[in-house]
Amino acid sequence: MTRLIKYEFYKLFCKRSILVVLLLFSVINLFKINSEFHSYSYLADGNDSRSWNSVYWQLYENYKGEITAEKINHLLSIYQPLADATADMTASTAKDNLNMMTGNIYSDRNILEKYYVKPMEYFYHYRTYALKVAERAKENVVVYKERGQTYEVRKNSVIYNLYSGRNIKAFAYEEMYNYYLNYDFSGILVLFLCLYGVVSTFVCEKETQMDMLLLTSPGGGKKTTFAKIAAASLFVISVAIWFSVVDYIGFVYFFGTAEGGGLPLYAVRNFSTAAVNCNLWQYAILSAVIRAVGVWTMSMVFLLISMFGRNALVPFVADFGAALCFIITGASQSCFSNAWLKIINPYSLLANRILFGKTEFIGLAGYPVQSFQAAIIFAITVGVVSITAMMMLSKRNSYCRERRTKCLDLCTK
Amino acid sequence: MSGFMYEVKKIMLWQRGLFYIALVLLFGTVWLALSDNPVDIAMEQYKNEYEWYLEKVNGYCTDESSLYLEQEAGRIAEAKEKQSTLLENYYDGKISESEYKKESQEIEKVLEHQNGFEVIYQQYLYICENAENRCFLQTNGWMGLLGKDTLNFILFLGILLLVTPVFCSEYSCQMDTLILTSREGRKSSLYKLLIMIVVVLFLSLSISLIEYGFYRFKYGLPDGDYPIQSIRYFADSSKSISLLEGYVYIGLLQMFGGVFLTILLMFISVLAKRYAITLLIGAVSVIIPYIGLSKTCIYRLPLPLPFLLGTDFFAGNIVLSDALMGDDKIIFAEVDTATLLTLLFVSILLCTLAAVWILRCNSNRWLIKSRQKKRAAAFTVMLSLALVVTGCSGRGKIKSAVYNSSANYDCMGYEIIRDAGTFDYYLKNTSTGETYPLACSPMFGVFSDEEEVRAFYVCPPYLYYTTSVMESYVNRVGNYNSNITKVSVIELNLDTFEEKTIFEQITNSGRSLFGIDYEMGDKWKFLDFHYAFFLNSESIFFVDNDGITQVNRFNGKIVKLDIPTNGNISFDGESIFYKNEQEVLTRYYVSDNETYTYENIVAYDFCMDEQSIYYVSRTDGGCLYSCGKDGNNKELISNIPAMAVTCDTSNIYVLAKESGEEIVLPKSH
Repeated sequence: MTRLIKYEFYKLFCKRSILVVLLLFSVINLFKINSEFHSYSYLADGNDSRSWNSVYWQLYENYKGEITAEKINHLLSIYQPLADATADMTASTAKDNLNMMTGNIYSDRNILEKYYVKPMEYFYHYRTYALKVAERAKENVVVYKERGQTYEVRKNSVIYNLYSGRNIKAFAYEEMYNYYLNYDFSGILVLFLCLYGVVSTFVCEKETQMDMLLLTSPGGGKKTTFAKIAAASLFVISVAIWFSVVDYIGFVYFFGTAEGGGLPLYAVRNFSTAAVNCNLWQYAILSAVIRAVGVWTMSMVFLLISMFGRNALVPFVADFGAALCFIITGASQSCFSNAWLKIINPYSLLANRILFGKTEFIGLAGYPVQSFQAAIIFAITVGVVSITAMMMLSKRNSYCRERRTKCLDLCTK
Repeated sequence: MSGFMYEVKKIMLWQRGLFYIALVLLFGTVWLALSDNPVDIAMEQYKNEYEWYLEKVNGYCTDESSLYLEQEAGRIAEAKEKQSTLLENYYDGKISESEYKKESQEIEKVLEHQNGFEVIYQQYLYICENAENRCFLQTNGWMGLLGKDTLNFILFLGILLLVTPVFCSEYSCQMDTLILTSREGRKSSLYKLLIMIVVVLFLSLSISLIEYGFYRFKYGLPDGDYPIQSIRYFADSSKSISLLEGYVYIGLLQMFGGVFLTILLMFISVLAKRYAITLLIGAVSVIIPYIGLSKTCIYRLPLPLPFLLGTDFFAGNIVLSDALMGDDKIIFAEVDTATLLTLLFVSILLCTLAAVWILRCNSNRWLIKSRQKKRAAAFTVMLSLALVVTGCSGRGKIKSAVYNSSANYDCMGYEIIRDAGTFDYYLKNTSTGETYPLACSPMFGVFSDEEEVRAFYVCPPYLYYTTSVMESYVNRVGNYNSNITKVSVIELNLDTFEEKTIFEQITNSGRSLFGIDYEMGDKWKFLDFHYAFFLNSESIFFVDNDGITQVNRFNGKIVKLDIPTNGNISFDGESIFYKNEQEVLTRYYVSDNETYTYENIVAYDFCMDEQSIYYVSRTDGGCLYSCGKDGNNKELISNIPAMAVTCDTSNIYVLAKESGEEIVLPKSH
């Protein structure tokens, strides 16, 4: 079987066209990451001594690491006079002020506020916020216990456990991770590539009528179908992981740093109510795995649809249309509180911040299940159901069996 | 039958061309009808009143129209003031009924079209920014027709379905070589090319005409000769073209975009000879630049995408100021005519070369070049393309409960209190004195100041409240705006403390999906300004300073009710009770949209419970009366002159006119 899977993998996916598309998409992805950096980061303004980039990294040495009262006081001693001087907006707008780090008083205030004061304030206060959530959850446990709401009691206990130890002890540069976690473009490229790879899996043999011939071989029929599904799974998972790696390397390269990986996930403001307690680099790995699960599920659905086509045309357009529907509904529903809509849409696993960014639960048999856990279970179930359907729909190698029966008949005579 | 007709028959019947064309036109029309929202909802709502003013100022903004509008603004402000004084005088007995009626008729005449005036005055302010090329006109039709720059996915998928099999079907069964040996061989590919171009032109033209017909029928498309800058989408455009010309040019460009995509797909199919790779390159050449590039880049690429979009070839510069850096940022740089013509020329040249190549490859001879070379050529195309590119509602039966917007909330033994320091809302158990946070989610409002509770409605055993949440993701001026403001209605069961979101809506008119900005109209904007709400099993009613907006809980349909909200609003599950502009108590039946005026009840203030209406009579010197919901059984409750009245389950609270003290009167029944 392993050999059959290997053959199918080589036949279907080690084609020059797929390798070229993979390479091409990787290059496009890197260009896009570069454009993200230049579009979004205020630190992409060059290496001039008065650029935000230079000023930020000069100051960074003073404030990185453990947040201490000295660092906070030192930061405020620089920031507060600037904030006071610019409060009434009557300060000089000159851009060549030698006493200013960036040459302009407003610019100095803004860089300090955006990159140091606000993040450090958030980091410093996070412990208090998390403690408040934990306390409220604890109070809720008591309230719901009185009312016999077992599910709510369990849910609030989970929230209590999740938030009770949360704390951001150190200050670090987290901007790169913020943009990395909000980057979706590569997910579309992965879907396109998987769609292209997967859609030919069954139809390429139908187009050349090899499917009939395959049924006559001992390894044909269901064995081949299973090998194709296994090869396709291997391919889509590899592609998803590859693009996650390219994304991470691309962001680290273009932002010029991997600083901040040790910060907890909730250090990124959009993830303040994150569903898991892990570091940013750990989340990068988790995200890659979850994305692979999402891509695998969608690919299995694509594969199932492609079984019904005589050529790649209708399955490709149908799969493409289905993918567009998943993406558009997934992206537009991502900010709503209906967790079920996120769970049943495999796009949520591709852009998994939708699931991990918020602590959301659904009730299953009276037990609270976090939305990301439910989405993973649902996606794997859909994938397995699709595989089962494909196995059931695939033809047995009847020709082979008939031939074998004839041989047996001859031998017995 | 000629070779041409054979090809037509093959494409239209055997390759299901006719079926796909019908499908695209059907889905396109249905989607257009379902997804359309008026960009300016007030202009649509007060259409007649707006048109009354428009008739007077239609066209360019002249000194006369400017003077007229300024004077009208003054007259309306004056009339409003006069109306309130007149009403005061009448109810205080200073003027007679005939005098009141006579004068109020004159005032009503002035205020007859005031809603429409607000719309036209907003338009006037826009026109004043550049009066030379902006005109007064009905804009909703034109905005719908021209002011959207989103890709027509249905047309795009239709073209993929129609064009890809034309050559690929021949290659998949190796009929291509057989065709080339026939006498009509070379012509076959020419016929295919011509048929597909005609089909795609027909499709694009049909969709363009359907859109024109739809907007003309729904909103009207008047004054097509006015400058394109008259609608906000093209505000800063430097092109001197009219709206109708704009429509024609955009339509022509979109038709060309369709033809460009057709030729590109046919070219790739001839090179690659495979369905999958043709479809992939076709889809990638449109979708990847669409979501991966800025508009400024898209509109400078010799690809089908900018032509398929078309609209922004005529839009002006969009510049926003970056508050942090203190500099201006160009979000979209206008495409000047020379660039447009160059781009068009290059694209036509590419199309011609591709068409020549298609015909050459299908010339009447055996193909010499090896497939590998062609595949290499296909990848070259992909590579060059890549290089170019890289630049809610849950329904439950709700029991009726009487709601008074001015009364305190009586929540089954709980009291809603607000913490003076944190501004958080709490539920206080009136018997035990225990407090619970109103929002049960422990995370609500902790991490962000932008999460707040807005309004409440009690209908035992449920307490409903609305929340407003603002979320912000990656955001910087000049790039996609990912700020989201979300308003939700949450149902809290006061027995079990279970929470459920029954309605949720994003209020932003500008949205963004994968960096593609799009407009949803200001349909849900009213949610940002609501300060009270109430509901029944069919609808939710949001109260703001402009009136009450009814939202259907199942289909999201919005109806703006003409109910003034300057006084108390009561609701008993079936009818809304309010004071009309003459301060006469009025009842609006929600289910059949009928209004009943209690002619004999003129009130300073009123409130109601399940059985009675309590009101401070204006015609009786401020005495407090009660009556049944039908207005009968009038009873005097207190003859102390009062200003306001509220009630709860057991008492009536009256604010005395002279002393300013609150008097508590027990309910007799």
